[in-house]
Amino acid sequence: MATTFSEAAKSTKKKKEIRLVGVDMYIITENGIPSFQDGEFGPFKCEFISNRGTKVWPGFVSPDLMMVNWYRCRFMATQDVQDSNVDAFLAALSKKGWWWSAVQKLWTHDGEAAYSKAY
Amino acid sequence: MAQHVVTMLPGEGTGPEICEAVRLVIDASGVDIKWEYEEIGLGCLEQYGTLLPDKTIKNIAKNKVALKGPTTTPIGTGHKSANVTLRKVFDLFANVRPAKLIPVLKRPWDKIDIINFRENTEDSYAAIEHMVSDEVAQCLKVITWPGSYRIADFAFQWARANGRKKVYCVHKANIMKMTDGLFLEAFREAAKKYPEIEIGDVIVDNCCMQLVRNPAQFDCLVLPNLYGDILTDLCAGLVGGLGFAPGANIGDNCSIFEAVHGSAPKYAGMKKVNPSAVLVSGIMMLRWLKETAAADRIEKAMFAVLDERKHVTYDVGGTATTDEYAQAIVDKMHAGK
Repeated sequence: MATTFSEAAKSTKKKKEIRLVGVDMYIITENGIPSFQDGEFGPFKCEFISNRGTKVWPGFVSPDLMMVNWYRCRFMATQDVQDSNVDAFLAALSKKGWWWSAVQKLWTHDGEAAYSKAY
Repeated sequence: MAQHVVTMLPGEGTGPEICEAVRLVIDASGVDIKWEYEEIGLGCLEQYGTLLPDKTIKNIAKNKVALKGPTTTPIGTGHKSANVTLRKVFDLFANVRPAKLIPVLKRPWDKIDIINFRENTEDSYAAIEHMVSDEVAQCLKVITWPGSYRIADFAFQWARANGRKKVYCVHKANIMKMTDGLFLEAFREAAKKYPEIEIGDVIVDNCCMQLVRNPAQFDCLVLPNLYGDILTDLCAGLVGGLGFAPGANIGDNCSIFEAVHGSAPKYAGMKKVNPSAVLVSGIMMLRWLKETAAADRIEKAMFAVLDERKHVTYDVGGTATTDEYAQAIVDKMHAGK
């Protein structure tokens, strides 16, 4: 039986072990770089915050850097987590008044990070 | 006391010998510059553990202007690119890449004189990428209003200061209506401050075709980061390659002028490479420092030496060393006084 290009392409997919390890939260605020306390959100701990792709926390922020009101806040899990932990995290974040535009779950594929780091 | 203090970043590979030749020419032009040398690149790794040491950053921050030779970014070592780090630290949002015909490089066009203004900090270069499922990868294309407005504003201001007549926005807003649409909208808003300048816009694929068919029609182009990355090299190719292609990375408080070619490590120490791209970047720097007479003097002498073809490097059909070519330009400047 003839195989289409689409079928052939789909058949090459390799099975990977996928594990949830954190979330990228896209937060909108006019009040500067967001600040979070360790332990504030259970198993999720803020690892870095970037603005327009440039890391603005922790560490040095260039006084020359122009920032916009949209921050990527990377929260990494400090223990094994499930999707239900993300649901609870989002509820807690909203309850504290953070306005966010999107969330992206972070996974590892066969143990390798399936997401980029900030510059 | 010197009128200007400039950070010199010789870079690596052929960078140091190129920068010495360029310094010889610039110093002979009559301009009063104190050069402060700082390190950048692979050579810094062992001593500082980074390609861009803090003391280099501090020196550039102090002097606010630098001339940079080529550097190499190691692949797969996990070290951040020195060039990208410089752009981030100083928010060098405007990548200015002129493309002008060099008479000695015979090309099939009568005129090319384009200045590209590439937004240098946003777009798909924001490094926001995810595997959103096990068979789908996604890269966020980040375009912001302030980021788009300031590159357009910068381009219009440059055009006004340099007597340029037309500024066109390059985009794909017919398809990417939000991102490129915002870039185009900000361009049009910025244009309102410059009523004497003709504006227009051109879709990026059509722009590529028009560039190779009739490049003389373009004056100044404003581009988002990705299209700018591609089209600036296309324009360099139109005028003969990267060997004569200058570049500047400019922010609100700091400017770094550099050639866009690589460090050619296999030629390091042989003193045979053409230093023209860094020299033309140096000419751009002199104009930025309002040293227009010195810049014109060097440019005129360089073109004269190239036209004579007696003391030119191997890539343009000669046998001169890097130093001999530079000295010929110096001699030509002195003869022209």
